[in-house]
Amino acid sequence: MIPLKKQYEADVAVIGGGIAGLMAAIAAADKGARVVLLDKANTKRSGAGATGNDHFLCWIPEKHGDISVVYNEFMDSQNATSNDTPLVMRFLETSPKIVNMWNDWGINMKPTGDFHFEGHAYPGRPRIFLKYDGHNQKKVLTEQAKKRGVQILNHAPVLEMFRNEEGVSGVLALDVSGDEPSFIMVHAKAVVAATGYVSRLFTTDPTPSQMFNTNMCPSGTGDSIAQAWRIGTYLVNMEKTYRHAGPRFLARCGKATWIGVYRYPDGRPVGPFITKPDVETGDMTSDVWSSAFTDLKLSGRGPAYMDCSGASREDLEHMRWAMKCEGLTALLDYMDKEGIDPGRHAVEFGQYEANLVTNGIEIDINGESNVRGLFAAGDMMGNISGDIGAAAVYGWIAGHHAADYQHLALDEGMPAQAGERMAFYSAIYERKTGASWQEANFALQQIMTEYADCGPHRVRSDTMLSAGIKYLGDLRRKMEKELYASDAHELMRAAEVINLLDLGQALMVSARERKESRGRHIRSDYTFTNPLLRDKFLRVWQENGEVKMAWRDRLI
Amino acid sequence: MPPVINTEACLGCGICADVCPLQVFRHNKVTDKVPEVKRPYECWHCNACVLDCPAHAIELRLPLTHMLLYVDADTLKPRDLPAR
Ligand SMILES: Cc1cc2nc3c(=O)[nH]c(=O)nc-3n(C[C@H](O)[C@H](O)[C@H](O)COP(=O)(O)OP(=O)(O)OC[C@H]3O[C@@H](n4cnc5c(N)ncnc54)[C@H](O)[C@@H]3O)c2cc1C
Ligand code: SF4
Ligand code: SF4
Repeated sequence: MIPLKKQYEADVAVIGGGIAGLMAAIAAADKGARVVLLDKANTKRSGAGATGNDHFLCWIPEKHGDISVVYNEFMDSQNATSNDTPLVMRFLETSPKIVNMWNDWGINMKPTGDFHFEGHAYPGRPRIFLKYDGHNQKKVLTEQAKKRGVQILNHAPVLEMFRNEEGVSGVLALDVSGDEPSFIMVHAKAVVAATGYVSRLFTTDPTPSQMFNTNMCPSGTGDSIAQAWRIGTYLVNMEKTYRHAGPRFLARCGKATWIGVYRYPDGRPVGPFITKPDVETGDMTSDVWSSAFTDLKLSGRGPAYMDCSGASREDLEHMRWAMKCEGLTALLDYMDKEGIDPGRHAVEFGQYEANLVTNGIEIDINGESNVRGLFAAGDMMGNISGDIGAAAVYGWIAGHHAADYQHLALDEGMPAQAGERMAFYSAIYERKTGASWQEANFALQQIMTEYADCGPHRVRSDTMLSAGIKYLGDLRRKMEKELYASDAHELMRAAEVINLLDLGQALMVSARERKESRGRHIRSDYTFTNPLLRDKFLRVWQENGEVKMAWRDRLI
Repeated sequence: MPPVINTEACLGCGICADVCPLQVFRHNKVTDKVPEVKRPYECWHCNACVLDCPAHAIELRLPLTHMLLYVDADTLKPRDLPAR
């Protein structure tokens, strides 16, 4: 049995020290809570915001005037298909305070001297993305958390959450700081889950042989969504998979930082918005017509290029600076080394594989799930999107409310399920041979991509999804018997695949239930978009080992 | 191999192994000076190790699979196709 070496007691345990997790920890500590934060890597450089970001969705009253200006623009954007309106309003209302906090702490929210909004915008319409310099954001937030006495446990991926009759009661983590694994238990009165985006569920689109070439950090495998699912938490919008786009073959977010025009090989612009590079708007084409790159390829009219050659020298310099704020220094170094100059060269763009980012744990206005004391924040929120802005703001909101449970008594006993789960993970480590995590992850990706991929040009159907669900069950049984890990790192990866499998199942049952085509969810057996389902969200959860589902109205 | 360490310049501080979000490096401070690039296929090319190495001893090498596809921008124009 892998030994349990450390135990902690906390008012609030935070899972994941990304943008949302660090903000939650800071807010909870500000209210006097004892906070333990666990991260899979090191909070200084972990997650999707590791080396920077540069566009922060927010409302700045003196720039926008009424909040509805930002709300309307946001609801028209690429990922707004999963938004409950009251949550969006709370996010936007709270955003000026958070932006100012970040600025005071030393994350430069006014790199041009004042609040300036640019990129991700339509010509002639309001702009809602604040241009900022996030290159140091993780270090600053880590410092702020430490200053408030937050205990940060790095290299401590969480494996499970536990609940008792009243609510959430703690988490089990793995110490992966050395080769030998050991367990860590954190007893807590409230838990904020903030493990970010879900990568590695579908076959990597640009590079099928390179599983870690993903647009967001591949250490994000939706761990806490799956852990929450296993204790009966409601998940929502799981069928709404998303596909991002960007340069090929190096997969990376940050497309809005490129100041150029998407063009056909014959030079015509792909979209209707701009004909020459515009630093204020960027080219919105890929935000609106996200399948453009795939459409062009499959129709034989592609590939599509990002052409910045018409930008002024000054704008190209600005773009280079912005790419550093955005954390794209590896891309810049590579381009410099290879002599790729955006002023002269057009870079091919393409769509990446499907991911989960506007789906996950269903929260209320305070960030709390249906399980008492279990909060979720960031990319894993199921009913509000908004990337870095929403992660920062809702992280703070969730931490603020999680701290309210500090007056409860701590459940100090070992959670009822802890022994069984520790034995489960220990068995993987004690097995001497079997299936590696890579083998299991590729097997899962094959099934997901073949039976549950989303559009464009891929369809779902009742028979395909039913077959996929059956095959996932078969894979699960094999994994339970055969998965093996030779060190702590491999055991962490094996646990990730187990989580991804749970999410694959939740995704497939949801996709089967949504009997219409909508956006990227294309059903060959229900080819129409049903207006009656427009504002309906599908909730899924587990109860006594059975999957349950219910439709609800989107909150307006 | 994605990160390449200049073993002469490396100070053996272990920062790269500590900050790497994917545990690409393995560093046993007692037995090794220079960290081992143990899991190159798990590198995300985030550049954190390059940025944080106090000795500037790390360079990233992008695998051929990750090559950036590009053309001269002035070739983006209608082509003269042979008459049918
Ligand atoms: C290159 C790039 C550029 C981007 N630019 C922008 C931009 O300009 N504007 C914008 O709005 N968005 C941008 N994004 C997206 C933005 O970074 C994310 O939306 C944001 O970071 C989400 O925050 P989060 O806290 O939900 O997740 P993350 O910041 O990804 O944090 C998740 C954390 O959870 C940890 N973790 C994962 N699993 C576990 C586990 N089992 N136990 C413990 N810890 C765990 C990870 O180590 C990580 O620290 C960009 C993303 C990338 C990759
Ligand atoms: S951070 Fe640089 S100096 Fe320190 S161990 Fe790594 S390579 Fe060596
Ligand atoms: S580039 Fe990032 S993922 Fe790759 S070794 Fe360096 S820190 Fe790790």
